[in-house]
Order: sequence, then C-alpha cells, then structure tokens
Amino acid sequence: MVSMCFYFQVHQPYRIRRYSVFDIGRNKDYFGDRSGTKLDNRWIIDKVAGKCYLPTNAVLLELLNKHPDFKISFSFSGVFLEQLEEFAPEVLKSFQDLVATGRVEILSETYYHSLSFLFDKNEFREQVRLHDKFVKQLFGVTPTVFRNTELIYNNKLANEIEAMGYKGIISEGADHLLGWRSPNFLYSPVGAKKIKVLLKNYKLSDDVAFRFSNRGWKDWPLTASKYVQWLNSINGCGEVVNLFMDYETFGEHQWEDTGIFEFLRYLPVEFLKHPDNNFKTPSEVVDTYETRGEYDCHNFISWADLERDLSAWTGNEIQDAAMNKIYALGEKVKLTGNGKLLHRWRKLQTSDHFYYMCTKWFSDGDVHKYFNPYESPYEAFIAYMNVLQDLEMEIDDILEERGFAVKGKVIRTRVNL
Amino acid sequence: MKVLMLGWEFPPFFAGGAGIVCYELTREMVKMDDVDLTYVMPFGPDEIRNQHLRILLADRFKGKKINFKKIPSLLSAYMTQESYMEERQRLISAGKTGLGADNTLSLYGQNLIEEVYNFAGRVRTIVEDESFDVVHAHDWTTFPAAIQASEYMRKPLIVHMHITEFDKSGGNGADPHIYSIEKEGMEKADKIITISRRVKDGLIKNYGINPNKIEIVYHAKVDVGPDMNFDFPKFKDKNKVILYAGRMTLQKGPDYFVEAARKVCNFYDNVIFIMAGSGDQLQKMIKRTIELGISDKFLFHGFYTRDDANKFFSMADIYVMPSVSEPFGLVAFEAMSKGTPTIISKQSGASEILNNVFKVDFWDSDMMANQIVSLLKHNALSNTMKREGYSEVNKLTWDKPARRCVDIYKELTEKK
Repeated sequence: MVSMCFYFQVHQPYRIRRYSVFDIGRNKDYFGDRSGTKLDNRWIIDKVAGKCYLPTNAVLLELLNKHPDFKISFSFSGVFLEQLEEFAPEVLKSFQDLVATGRVEILSETYYHSLSFLFDKNEFREQVRLHDKFVKQLFGVTPTVFRNTELIYNNKLANEIEAMGYKGIISEGADHLLGWRSPNFLYSPVGAKKIKVLLKNYKLSDDVAFRFSNRGWKDWPLTASKYVQWLNSINGCGEVVNLFMDYETFGEHQWEDTGIFEFLRYLPVEFLKHPDNNFKTPSEVVDTYETRGEYDCHNFISWADLERDLSAWTGNEIQDAAMNKIYALGEKVKLTGNGKLLHRWRKLQTSDHFYYMCTKWFSDGDVHKYFNPYESPYEAFIAYMNVLQDLEMEIDDILEERGFAVKGKVIRTRVNL
Repeated sequence: MKVLMLGWEFPPFFAGGAGIVCYELTREMVKMDDVDLTYVMPFGPDEIRNQHLRILLADRFKGKKINFKKIPSLLSAYMTQESYMEERQRLISAGKTGLGADNTLSLYGQNLIEEVYNFAGRVRTIVEDESFDVVHAHDWTTFPAAIQASEYMRKPLIVHMHITEFDKSGGNGADPHIYSIEKEGMEKADKIITISRRVKDGLIKNYGINPNKIEIVYHAKVDVGPDMNFDFPKFKDKNKVILYAGRMTLQKGPDYFVEAARKVCNFYDNVIFIMAGSGDQLQKMIKRTIELGISDKFLFHGFYTRDDANKFFSMADIYVMPSVSEPFGLVAFEAMSKGTPTIISKQSGASEILNNVFKVDFWDSDMMANQIVSLLKHNALSNTMKREGYSEVNKLTWDKPARRCVDIYKELTEKK
C-alpha cells in the first residue's frame, strides 16, 4: 500500500516598495508599488493568477470531480490570502471551491509566513492562532497539521506544536538526519508524546518542482506513467510518499508549454491503476499510519538551497541587523495597542524580506537572484531599514503622547540559533 | 599560435584603461604554452620612458615568450587631434624635431591622422620580415596598421574596442576621420572584442556593425597597489569620507556627485567629500559648492598619482562613480580591491558584471543620496559591502579574459 500525499505551498509576501531616506516620516505607503514590475504586489498576484492559480485550480477541480479518491492539501500564508481578498477575489473563490469538495485539506502555519519561532515564542503562537482563525473564516475548516515557514524545523518546534494541540507536523526529509532510513514512513519527533512528523521526499518532489523541464536531465521528458512506476517501486519499502512543493511549480516555474498540466492531469489516472495505491491528506496519513522510529533534529533545518539550513534568511550581517531591529520593536508596538501598526509590523516579519538580503551569490546565488525583486541585497536592506525607522518614529510618537518615556530606547533581543 | 598584438605603452606611463588592459592581457598570455606573442607599441621620444620600459620588461617578462617591438611614434591611447597637436608642438618647441633617441628618424606626422598612417607603414616592415597567425589591435589609432598587416599576411584580424569616438564626444562633433577609421577597422575585422555590452550596443547603433561579429570580454581586477603606510589626515577622525576620483569632465558626472552631496548634507554633518582629478569642470564644481553653501565639506585635489589614489581609496568610506557614460570603469575595481563600499552609475560597463555594489542612474541624485546616507547610517551594510565587494573583485582574474582572447584566435585560424 502506497499513499501519495500532496501538499502545495501558496505564498506571496507584501514586497516593500523602493522606500528611501527621503520617505521616512512622510510616507506611510510601505507596500504600494504600482510600477507593474517585480515589486508591485498586485501585478504579481495578477500575473501568477493567470499563469498558475487559476489554470491549476481548474485542473485540480476537474480531477476532484472525476476521481472520488483524489485528495490534496494546501498551505496558504495569511498574507497571501489577504492579498487575494484585496486584489483577486475570483482566485480566492476558486480555492474555496476546491476546499468545498471536502477532499482538500488546509495546513496551519504562521499568518505572516515569518521566522517568529526563532525569535519570539509568544509572537509565534499568536501568529499561528491568527492564521487558523483566518482559515476558518474563509474556508470553514480548522487545520490539525502544522508546517512552519520554509519547512524550518527542529525538535523544539515539534514539541511546541504538540503542546498547541496539533497531531502532525511537516519537515524536510534531510539525508543527514535520516541516514539509511526512508522518508516514506512517519516518525516521532524526539521528545514527542503523540505528534507525528511527515517528511518530504525531496528527490521525488524536486523531480517535478525543479527537474521537470530540464532537457539535460537523464529522465527528461518525465511522463505520468514513468513517475508512477517510480512511486510503485516504493511499495513494500514505504507507506507514504510526501510530495511537497511550491504551488507556482505549475505554470509559473514550469511553464504550461513544458506539459506540466498534462502531467498533473494524468498522474491520478496512472497512479490509481494500481489497486494498492491511494491518495491521503496529511491528517489522514497521521490517522492511518504508525511511526517507525524517531526523527532527531537538534539544529534547525529548512527546505532551502543545498545547505538545507537557515543561511538563506539569517547569518549575514545585514540580515541579522534587520532581524534584530524588527523583533526589538515588538514590545513597543504592542504597547501602543494599535491594531493597524501591529499588523504593519508583522507584515515586515515575512521571511522573504530577509531572503532578499541574502548575499550567497555563488552556487545557490542564481536562485536567489531569480527570486529577488530588488537589484541587490543591499537595495532590499535599505528599503527595509528605512521603513522600520518610519514605523519606529510613528510608534514612539504614539507612546510619547500617552506619556511613555520610550523614545530612542531599543530593547535588544538575542538571536540564539 | 603566433600573435601580433598592436597595443599601448604599459602603465604607469599611460595609465588609462587601455594600457592597463594590454599589460594584464599580455602578462597572462605569455604564461600560455600555445601562444607566441609579439607586442608592438608606439613609443615616444622621452629617454625616461625607455629606461622605465627596459626595467619593466626585464622584471616582469624575463624568460617569457614575448617579443617587444617598439615603434617610434607620438601615438598614445585616447589621443585626439588636439592633444596630438599639443604634444607635437611641445616637442618641437623643445628642439626635438624627429623621433627616436637620436632624433634622426623622420619628422612627426603633420597631424594625428598622418601619424597614424606613419605608424602603419612602420608596422608593415615588421610583417614583411616575419609572419603571424593573427593580428589583434587595440583602439582606432592602430587600426590602419592592423588592417595593412592582416591584408599583407592574409591572416585574421581582431579589433578590441575600449571606447569609440562616439563615446568620447557624446555623439556631438565626432571627428569624421576617426569615425571612418574606426568603422573601417571593425568592418574589416573578423571579430570585434568589446569591453562591455554598452560599447557593443554603441557599435551596432552608431556604426551599423553586425552583432554576430562582436563578442564581449569583460575586464578583470586591477588595483592601485599594496596598502601604504601613512597617517590619515586629522579630519578623518570625526568625519566620514565620500570620494569622487576621475577626470573632472561632463562625461564623468561630477555635477551629479555635488548634487547628491548637497542632499546628504541635510542628513549628516560629519562628512567630507573629496573630489580628486582635474579637468575642464573643476572650476565649475568649486563654484557650485560655494553657491550651495557646502564648500566647507569639500576637498578638491587636482591631478592625482597612483599613490594618491591608493591613499584616497584607503581612507574613503564610500567611493562614488557617477559617470554619465562609461565604457567600463576600471576605477570601481580599484576602489573595491581596497575594500571601499562602491556606488556606480548604471551607465557604466562595470555595472553589467558587478553584484556587490550599489547601482544608480547618474541623474538620480535622490537615489544616490539615499544610498550614501544608508551606508553612513548602517555599519552592517557598509561592512557587508566592503567584505563581499572585496571578495567579488578578487575572483575576477585576468587568466579568464586572456584565455577567451586566445580561444577567439583559435576559432578564427581554424575557420580560415
């Protein structure tokens, strides 16, 4: 028996416009670039909706209607859903239609797609709660399995998530932690009582997400029947294949003319030909299968780059300066009791802002350059720090009006990674 | 592979980009087993140059497979009709009426163009004695010589475009003689090497050259020498230093630097702007800073030497290259190799390959000021750009462009 478990990551940050020193104290519009380029959030949603969200949703709905056993799951960031509400309600509706079939599960994550677990546990719990509330409001369902931003994970996170009441958590199936073992089973996080961890099969996931259209790859072209042969060969040495990828794989990273939609269309047909195969959502996987040993992850891992660590978001001097500054503002911003300010501060926690400041130009650098809407990591840093200064001035003004003596005082948070 | 290269006198004599590039390329090429290089340079009458070159050649090229041919000539890189006439007049006034150490060779050409053809005739005598597999020529002044040599031997011609007459004149008042020599050289060439996409686009647009014949070979790292032992001036204790270094001409954009400086002064008191270099805009820049009431924040330093540059880059907190039009901009590499955070205009060839710099439109003084202020404000930013810029520029080594040139020679000789 092999179960295929699909989870698609759907996220778009609020990119910060080119915000200069001359804007500080004068311009509250942090995210409103309307240039029709890679910094224009509305333009990006429109573009990706046309190439990926709408056509892929249509294929998935067709598959759900045709195959009563077909199941998938999504993880939406809150900031993505919020942008859909504002810029593209028809896209939101098409996601709601999918969820309404009852065979599409939604995972839990931080509303702001943030790294808050690394810096501020209370803030983290608050953002997860906000996310689940928003999902409930838009889709009428409550998530029971959690995935953290960019699959950032360690034992402590699993323990925290269990304490928050989730029954499953998702992680990268990292070779150095698995050793000879297979990612195609469930495991128990170290220190866990009941919660189970689902591990991404990165090889089979990346065959679709990254290699699908690579003509230099020995297995190109990848057809649904070839892929299903690989999945069938797991039968007997694995129970579940976790295929986790960015939703933009379909139509945006792999363009329509690569045949990616046809591949998706025929995958369930081919897969269900084998009577032992089935589709399951993450929560069903957790309910169905037992764990087969411990997954011990002391240091943080993620699904990014070759290193599978945090170096895409933290570790260089500008990233750390920005990160320290944003979390140092937490105490003050909460003291204002101003919901709008709080929301703006949180939108600035989205991990993408720090990803854009990454200076690993070589090896993984090309990927970073491709995904970076700024001309350089330094441009990203300038816009970010200028916005933070504007925000801090606003916070200080409010607090001063209320009689607090906080101006200029910065509360330092230590980064322990 | 026997290569005949028509190039420029090496630095420090003519320390313009072309001379440096010729020097670095030949230094790498002589290390290659498959290259036998003959380097021809126009060679002026000054005894001291002769002396210097002998030392330079003995030191750097000892035992290497390179042949130097010095041709008496007044030509130098980037020469204009005016500067040729000036140089000629200067020498005639000094009593030197002919070329060569003994003053016995023929008179200088009556004008630059004539001198260019004189040079060509002298190169012709070289190829009448000895044959080569390819001819590689730098800049238009050597093109007539290169064309003659290539046609005489029936061997491929490669011309290397560092800058064009169009770039130099900004499109206004381009010298028609020079323009047509450039055009002829490129049309007769089997391959054209340009130093940037910028230059390449200009060749296509202004000279109607077939894009398929053009290949870009980017420069590699140059620096201003090892760190020097000197005391920073007193003003450095309390001030951050922002540097402009280059000729003070409109093409280099000094006025945009002053405009950005004015905006920076609204944010910061403790800054000093150093403007190094001489040129026809120097007086105007001094006057402008007085008008703006910020002259106390400016230090002007006219013509500067390589050692001066070394000191400037060492003490500068930021280097700005605001050029309106810059075929490449090697000086950005010099700044970065001293670990100075660097801002360059998008209208430069260097901006096509560098990552760890700020790039800005030369006219966007708001953005330029924004970048300067941010570097002054955030140590994390300046530290990171210092470190990453230094390491980026050190990875750009000359063996790569030199190897690319040799590969081009091979492709052409195999084809012919």
